[in-house]
Amino acid sequence: MQYCAELLNLSVLFHKRTAIENITVDIPADGITVLLGRSGSGKTTLLRSLNRLNETFEGYEGTGSVKMNIDGKSTDIYSTEAPPITELRRRIGMVFQTPNPLPMSIRRNMQLPLHLVLGLEKKEAEARMEEALRSVGLWSEVADRLDQQATRFSGGQQQRLCLARTLALKPDMLLFDEPTASLDKKSSELIEEYLLSLKGKYPMIIVSHNLTQARRLGSCFIVLKEGRLSRVISSMELFEKDPDNALELML
Amino acid sequence: MRRLSLLKYLSFASAAFVFCSCGILFGFLLYYGAPVIDAKLFFGSTRPADALFRLLPVWDGIWPAFTGTLCLLALTMLMALVPGIGCGIFLARYATGRTKEFISLALDMLASVPSIVMGLFGFVMILMLRSTFAPNATTCISLAAFCLALLVMPALVVTTRTSIESISASVVLTGNALGFSESQLLRHLLLPSAGHGIMGGIMLSMGRAAEDTAVIMLTGVVVNSGLPAGLGAKFEALPFFIYYTAAQYTDHDELLRGFGAALVLLTLSATLFAASWMLQHIAEKRWKGIK
Repeated sequence: MQYCAELLNLSVLFHKRTAIENITVDIPADGITVLLGRSGSGKTTLLRSLNRLNETFEGYEGTGSVKMNIDGKSTDIYSTEAPPITELRRRIGMVFQTPNPLPMSIRRNMQLPLHLVLGLEKKEAEARMEEALRSVGLWSEVADRLDQQATRFSGGQQQRLCLARTLALKPDMLLFDEPTASLDKKSSELIEEYLLSLKGKYPMIIVSHNLTQARRLGSCFIVLKEGRLSRVISSMELFEKDPDNALELML
Repeated sequence: MRRLSLLKYLSFASAAFVFCSCGILFGFLLYYGAPVIDAKLFFGSTRPADALFRLLPVWDGIWPAFTGTLCLLALTMLMALVPGIGCGIFLARYATGRTKEFISLALDMLASVPSIVMGLFGFVMILMLRSTFAPNATTCISLAAFCLALLVMPALVVTTRTSIESISASVVLTGNALGFSESQLLRHLLLPSAGHGIMGGIMLSMGRAAEDTAVIMLTGVVVNSGLPAGLGAKFEALPFFIYYTAAQYTDHDELLRGFGAALVLLTLSATLFAASWMLQHIAEKRWKGIK
């Protein structure tokens, strides 16, 4: 089996308080891996340790290693051999719980990262923007309103914009932190649809509170409890047991 | 409930008070000042064209004071903007613990220094320079601008700092998650987001620098010097002209010229404010890409 990330003895503390402790787990490259657990169990911290975003918070301390396949070579992203942190974050795209468009137009939201992070020229960035917006089904909805403030669009549209913005940067892997938690049912289903359509193209890791959603999307489940690894289950195992209640039982 | 409505009326009354005082003040100035504003107020007996092209000096008009104030403002801003905004960024983004406390304390102290003391400081500095390695140093426009820069710096630092600190954490997180470097984050997200607040600070400092008399009185302003001749030259300035006229006028016409000059100073500040506001507005629209 191929892994997109291999975590070894990973611990993260904020202001000397443990957020996750001693986590060793291999995350498969195929399909969608779902991080499960109660609030405060360390799911988000675990997710953010994969793109080194925890380090932007005050009081961060971390130990352990996270090995990822970078340009065909297994590299510890916390070691000195790792690519620069900005490059790493570009490669490991992330979509947040609440849609987070920048306070600017849709076009600028899409193109500013392309200019700054990839150094693309205007023409290339335009093309990349259209391609990404099409891939999340947003192009037809916003094509004539690209120069309007992004925050004026609906929550679901904003979230798809954020997904498109991440996809446009051509990441190697995608992280989702409860991407549908702040959306209505219809928008959530749409996002889930796109997540499933991206299956196979990118390794994906998603934090979810919603067990129905987890069952629908996931092919591997990592359960955290009070900052520690509780179990790892593949969906095969799950369905052999009690398919309807297995996840509930686990938690 | 009653308390709340009392508070409401009090706040309404306070707002009305501010508006009325401003209106009365402006109306008063307009009433006395507006009739005397003409080419003669600016250029005296010199022909405007000759004065504008610096062919002939202006002796009895406020043109030299007007230009002096503009030059003084430009120099002050040149000296205050970079350290002021830079220090604000440093405090908001990089300073921690002790360093942050010390700098904030220094800043509070600087903010509480009365302008006359700042003027004295400049004056004493020149005296010191004269007795040490620059025996020819004298009070001049650069010294005045330097002291004014010190005077307005705290406002710049504090507004820059607070407007950067008030940017939502999610903007910073988003920038980081997209792979922006620290300098890209600052240059392309934080500073433009804080632009409105920073511009407020710049306008506040410009206003302060334009009106201050105490500092320049001790550091180089004179009643009659013509246009500022260079960085080391004496200069005239509108607030000083107004102060001097108010204290020393000999007839009614001269007093009216003082009112005229006050109105000109007010208009100059208002124009600068409007220009900076427009510039900021255009820059923000460009940054947001909204059409």
